Amino acid sequence: MWELFISAFTSVLLWIYDVIGHNFGIAIILFTILIRLVTWPLNAQQMKGAAAMQNLQNDKDWQDIQKKYAKDKEKLAQEQMRVYREKGINPFASCLPTLIQFPVIIALYQSITRALAATPLGLLQLSRSGSTFSFLDVSSIVPLNSKFLWMDLGRPEGIPLPFDIAFLPYGFPLLAIIVALTTYVQSKLTMPASANPNDQSAMMGNMMSIYMPLLLGYFALTFPSGLAVYFITSNVLGIIQYAMQGKANWRNLIPGAQKQQQIQKQKK
Amino acid sequence: MSKKLVFMMTVLLAAVFLSGCTGGAARGSTWPGLTADAATAYLADGPFVFAVDLKDGRKLWQYPADANAKLLFFSTPVITPEGLVIVGSSGNDYKLVALNPNDINAETNSPAEAWTFSGAKDHWVAAPLVIDNRLFAPNADGNLYVLDLRDGQSTKKALQTVPLGGRLWAQPVTDGELIFVSSLDHSVFAIDKDTYKIVWHEDLAGAVPGAPVLGTDGYLYVGSFASQLERFDPATGSHQSIQKTEGWVWGTPSLVDDNLYFADLDGRLYSFNIADAKYNWTPVQPDGPITASPLVVGDQILVATESGAIYELNKDGNFKLWSQPGGKIYTTPVLAGDLILVAPLTADAYLYAYDQSGHQAWAFKPED
Repeated sequence: MWELFISAFTSVLLWIYDVIGHNFGIAIILFTILIRLVTWPLNAQQMKGAAAMQNLQNDKDWQDIQKKYAKDKEKLAQEQMRVYREKGINPFASCLPTLIQFPVIIALYQSITRALAATPLGLLQLSRSGSTFSFLDVSSIVPLNSKFLWMDLGRPEGIPLPFDIAFLPYGFPLLAIIVALTTYVQSKLTMPASANPNDQSAMMGNMMSIYMPLLLGYFALTFPSGLAVYFITSNVLGIIQYAMQGKANWRNLIPGAQKQQQIQKQKK
Repeated sequence: MSKKLVFMMTVLLAAVFLSGCTGGAARGSTWPGLTADAATAYLADGPFVFAVDLKDGRKLWQYPADANAKLLFFSTPVITPEGLVIVGSSGNDYKLVALNPNDINAETNSPAEAWTFSGAKDHWVAAPLVIDNRLFAPNADGNLYVLDLRDGQSTKKALQTVPLGGRLWAQPVTDGELIFVSSLDHSVFAIDKDTYKIVWHEDLAGAVPGAPVLGTDGYLYVGSFASQLERFDPATGSHQSIQKTEGWVWGTPSLVDDNLYFADLDGRLYSFNIADAKYNWTPVQPDGPITASPLVVGDQILVATESGAIYELNKDGNFKLWSQPGGKIYTTPVLAGDLILVAPLTADAYLYAYDQSGHQAWAFKPED
């Protein structure tokens, strides 16, 4: 099943590559746009779920049960479920779409490495992508041109430095930095301001806005740069999607603005 | 389960999955390289190159002494007239190394490096070719590196770098004057062995992962992913497709007298008479894709398939199962004295030796 999934991803990537004139970087960008379009409803649901959870943190009923059952975890959980039911909120609605993204990232990573076929066994597996989906004549397009801008998409990116740095074997990691920055910007923009200092959802959001950029930045540093191209495109599209839906919280990007916003909300 | 825990588990899972996909220096990321001289088999298989005694399958040495994340071997080792074993790494440092089997460290049981070359920018997949004390080494970065084997340098610099383009995965062949190099970039090149000038460069309709072979008629034959067998005039590069195949041709055709034996990824084995320009018999299809070149031993033609079996064909095209070591076989079997060596991927042992009747003489596992 997973193999079929990878073959389908690889075939679509190769088809785009063939149609647009053999530029694998552009193929990854277009493929990412396609993935974003397909998962648009999921992302919209995620944003809706996150907003509902955020609003719940400021709900008086919710805050009361947090205080009342602070020492009885079992009762607290029962009461929370009651509130979720009453307000029609699915507590997993905000994280489930995120979980679904991970198999997509892993499948894309495997598709990129398969499409670029750095080893004989990789090329043999790639040859089978053509037989799985007969619309593709793989023989005419392999090997793929892995060069895009200054990058070799099959290898980790790095701009050569005039000196060696042990922990940067591929040079200055420009793409990894852009991945970390755009991930940070995206997570900050989607974080609604909270008036509640004990707001778990806000704390979770803050944690994600630190860990996710570091994690994806690390992936971009160590894995083929094709994956970093996917991350950047996906982040930029995510920011555009939030902005188009009027949900982007641009003030979060200004240091200290979030705290100021919380204080103002509390005053109100 | 708290959201924080779900998030952290997801991140960890993603990291583990992605890390597991990188291959690293793990054995099995592709098929091994195998060669042999009169007494020893040399197997490049993942993190190590092994020297195995042909008498009993005992390990003589391994390189490096301990697995190193930067070193990954699967290109076929080459033995120089001086007895050095040259093998390229597909790890991160792209090192080509010459090992000296006569200088073994008693503590580590690992040979000394006679010299190294670190000038390439990509993996070593192709075996190099030794001619007149020079090494012609094609790299996946698209360059053919020429090294002087007699310059006495322990850290070699290229005598000449010939940029050909594409990915060079096949060992060059020579007619004594020209070096012929095939490229995954749908190309075949002829290079003058003394001036290093490209004499001709011809494009094909598909990638060429295997090496060409020089026929008894003086022509050059090569199979490609365009599902064709092409014939080249080695002097001019003019070429024509002489036979269509059902699937992609990976391995180098094997030549016996006027007959070429070659196989495709659909698992068909072909026998083509170059004098008559026609197939000797209808292609046969044993039981799985074939990347290995057929091995001709006397009147036997042995062909290894992905299904882990080796089939014996006679010259009339009748075949029967010869042996079944298991795993998946992609590497071309090697004839070493009276033994036939087979290096499957994902089998119980790394290397099997058979007599010419197909009876197993020994199996090599490094831990033994």
